[in-house]
Amino acid sequence: MKKFVFLLCVLALIVPAHWVFAATPQKGGSLTICVGDEPPGLDPTASASAAIDRVVYANIMEGLVKVDRNGQFVPGLATKWDVSPDGKVYTFHLRKGVTFHNAEPFNAQVAKWNLERAAAEDTKNAHPEFFRVIEKAETPDDNTLKLTLKDVDALFIVHMAEGDAVMLPMKGFENMAAEPIGTGPFKFAKWTRGDSVEMVRNEKYWNPRLPYLDKVTYRFIKDASAQVAALKAGDVDIIGWLLAPELAASIAKDKRFKVLAGASTSEVIMSTNNKAKPFDNKLVRQAIAYAIDRQAVIDLVMSGYGTIIGSHWPPVTPYYKDMTGLFPYDPEKAKKLLAQAGYPNGFEATIKLPAIYPYAQRAGEVIADMLGQVGIKLKVEVVEWGYWLDRVFKQKDFQLSMIGHAEAWDIGIYANPNYYFQYDSQEFRDAYAKALKAPNEAEKTKWFGRCQEIVAEDAVNGFLFLAPALSAMKADLMDWWKDYPTIAMDCTEVWWKK
Amino acid sequence: MLRYLIKKTVTLVLLLFLVSITVFSVLFVLPGDPAQIILGINATPEVLANLRAELGLDRSFLGQYTDWIGNLLLGRSQQSIHYKMPVFELILGSLAVTGPMALIAMLFALVISLPLGIYAARHQNRPGDVTVMFGTQLGLATPEFWFGILLTLLFSVQLGWFSAGGFPGWNNDFWGSLKALLLPAFALGVIRASILTRLTRSSMLEVLREDYVRTARAKGLKERTVVYVHALRNALVPILTIMGLQLGQLLAGAIIIENVYFLPGLGRLVFNAIGQRDLPVVRDIVLFMAAAVVVVNFIVDLTYAALDPRIRLQ
Repeated sequence: MKKFVFLLCVLALIVPAHWVFAATPQKGGSLTICVGDEPPGLDPTASASAAIDRVVYANIMEGLVKVDRNGQFVPGLATKWDVSPDGKVYTFHLRKGVTFHNAEPFNAQVAKWNLERAAAEDTKNAHPEFFRVIEKAETPDDNTLKLTLKDVDALFIVHMAEGDAVMLPMKGFENMAAEPIGTGPFKFAKWTRGDSVEMVRNEKYWNPRLPYLDKVTYRFIKDASAQVAALKAGDVDIIGWLLAPELAASIAKDKRFKVLAGASTSEVIMSTNNKAKPFDNKLVRQAIAYAIDRQAVIDLVMSGYGTIIGSHWPPVTPYYKDMTGLFPYDPEKAKKLLAQAGYPNGFEATIKLPAIYPYAQRAGEVIADMLGQVGIKLKVEVVEWGYWLDRVFKQKDFQLSMIGHAEAWDIGIYANPNYYFQYDSQEFRDAYAKALKAPNEAEKTKWFGRCQEIVAEDAVNGFLFLAPALSAMKADLMDWWKDYPTIAMDCTEVWWKK
Repeated sequence: MLRYLIKKTVTLVLLLFLVSITVFSVLFVLPGDPAQIILGINATPEVLANLRAELGLDRSFLGQYTDWIGNLLLGRSQQSIHYKMPVFELILGSLAVTGPMALIAMLFALVISLPLGIYAARHQNRPGDVTVMFGTQLGLATPEFWFGILLTLLFSVQLGWFSAGGFPGWNNDFWGSLKALLLPAFALGVIRASILTRLTRSSMLEVLREDYVRTARAKGLKERTVVYVHALRNALVPILTIMGLQLGQLLAGAIIIENVYFLPGLGRLVFNAIGQRDLPVVRDIVLFMAAAVVVVNFIVDLTYAALDPRIRLQ
C-alpha cells in the first residue's frame, strides 16, 4: 500500500497538469459531423423526418422540455413544471431572459402561440395529436404557461420534448425550413444544398457556460465507405451514425480514432401484415419468432453491435419490460407450430425490403435463410423507398417487410388497426388506454409493460434488435453522446481536448 | 448555316416538349407521395392532405402540367420541395460542380487517349500496341465507383494529398475547389480514355491507309507532320462524335462518382430528388439534361465543319 501511494505521488509530479484537468471542458474549435441523410428542410415542426431532428433539434431549436444523454426529461425552455394531482393541469415555469436568434424575446405568449399553431386546423405539423389534447392554454404572466388537458396523457411531457414541439419565433417563422431560427446554443449560418449545413455559436445562449464549440458543420455523405474515407482523410471529425458497422472494428484499432457503441431508440422489426395469409394465423407468427436466431442476426447484419429485443420498446426507455426470453431460438418448435397451424411442409412468402436501408436488406437475406430452415421459402424483393411508402405502408400490399421504427414511445401504433401491420386487438387497445391514463409511475410501469407483453405474445412482428447508436470520431473529441435516447445529435456539451 | 440553326432549334423545342410530357407522366404515376415522404410514416391523413394542398399535389394532371410549363415559359422557377429554394438556383449551383468536373474529365481523357491511340496505331500489333490495348481492356472493365474508391484510399487516406471528397465552393476557395474536382475527374476521365484510345487507334489506322497520306509521305513530308497534321485532323471526326456523347453523358451521369466523392453536383441532386420525390427538381433537371445533350451535339456538328471543309451543315 505504501508503495502504491508513493507511486501515485511520483506520478502526480511527472504527469503534466493539463492531463489531470483534462476532464474540464475547453472552449473553442469547430466540428464537422458526417451524417447520411440530408434533411428535407430544416423545420422540425413541419416534418417528422429524423434527418431534420439530427441536425436542428437541441442545436438550433429547443422545446420546453429536453431529453438528456441518459434519456431523462430535463428542463429546456421551461425551468420546471408542476402537474396537478388529477394529472390534467401542467404549469410550466419558463426560463427568463431567453431570446431567439433574431432577437425576438421568448415568453409565455410565444409558447402558447406555438402550441396552438401546431394544433390548428391547417397545421402542417406531423403530429397535431400531441397538441390537441390541450383544452386550454393560459398565460397568467410572461413566464408562466398553464395548460389544461382534456384528459390525462401519460406521454404529454414525452411529446413536449419531441422535435415537433420546438419553439419558433412568432415573427419571421415562415421561412423556417430554409433559414431556421430558434433559441438553441447554435445559430444557423448556411445550408449548402447537397453538401452541408453550418451553424455558429450563439453568444447569447441562456446558459452562458455553453456551448463549447465555435462552429458545427453537418456534412451529408450517403455512401458508407465514403464516410469512413472522409473520417480517415480528416475531412470530417466524426461519423454520427456509422452506416457500415463492419468497419467499426478497423476504425477503433486506429489510435487516431475511437468508436462509441451505444443504444438508439430504433427497433428493427420484420414487419408483418397481420391480415395477409398465412400471417393472420398467430401460430405462424409465433413459429417465425422461434425460427429466428436474433443473436446471429445481430452478428451477421450489424457485426455484433445492437441489442436483442422481444417487443416494441427500446431497452433504454423507461418502463421497459424484458420480453426477449419469450421465444428462444428453437427451429424444432417452429416446425411443430407450423404443422399445428396447418403448414407441415411450410409455405412460400415474399419479403419486401426498402433499398435505402442497408441493414434491412442484409437482415432480410439472413432471415430468409433462417426461415428456409423451417420450411418457409422467402422471396426477397428489394424496393425503392417511395415505392415502399406507397405500396407497403399505405396500401398494405405486402406479407413481410423489414424496417427500423426510429421513434421511442411509439407503441401506440399497435392500437391502430389501420396501421400497416393491420394488428387488431381490443386487449391491446384497452391496455394502451389504461397506460395513457395511468395516474402514477407504478400504474405506468404496469400498463406500458402489459402493452409490451401483449404484442410480444401475439408475435405481431418479428422483433429483432435495437439498432446501435454507432459513432466513430477523432480521439480528442469529448462528451459526444454515446446513446441516442432521442432522435438528435446534441452538440451543446461537446468539446475538443487540445 | 442559318437554315441549319433554325432546323436544330425546332428539333430542340419539339424534343423538349416530348421529354416534358414523358417525364411528367412518369413522375405522375410513380408510386410514392412527396407529402408522405416529408411527413414520415406516422403522420395523420389530415396533415397529409394539408401538405398536399400546399404543394399543389391535389390538382389534376393537366392543372399541374400547365402550371409547370407555364412557369417555365415565363422563366419562373418552381420551388424545390426538399430544399425550399428555386429549382433554377439549385441547378446552377450544382452545374458549377458538375460542369467543370465533366470538362476536366474530358481533358484527362483526351490527354491520355490521343497520344496512346496514335502510338498504338503507329505500332500496330507490336508489343507497345498490345500493351496499350490490354490497358484499355482493363479500363473498360473497371467500374467507376471502384476506381474512385481506390483513388481515395491511395491519395486521400494513405498519402493525404487530397481530401476524400466534398466541395468547398468556388467563391470560398478557388484552388481548393479545383483540387476537389481532380480525383473524381480523373476517375471519370480514365474510364472514358479507354474508349477514346481504342477509337483513336482504329480511326488513325484507317486514315493512315488513305491515299492522301501516301501522297504526303511521297512528297517528302516529315512523318511527324504527316501523322499529327494530315492524318490526325481527319481521324478526329469520329473521335469528336464520341466525345460529344460522352460529355453529355458526364453532365447527367456522374451520379455514382458524385456519391463516392460526396460532391454537390447535378447527378447527386437528381438522384436524391428522385428518392425524395422532389418532383419539381427531377422534372427541370431531366429537361435540362435533354437540352444539354442536344446543344453539345450541335456544337460537335459545328466543329465537324471546321475540321473537315467537305462537311457542309445543311
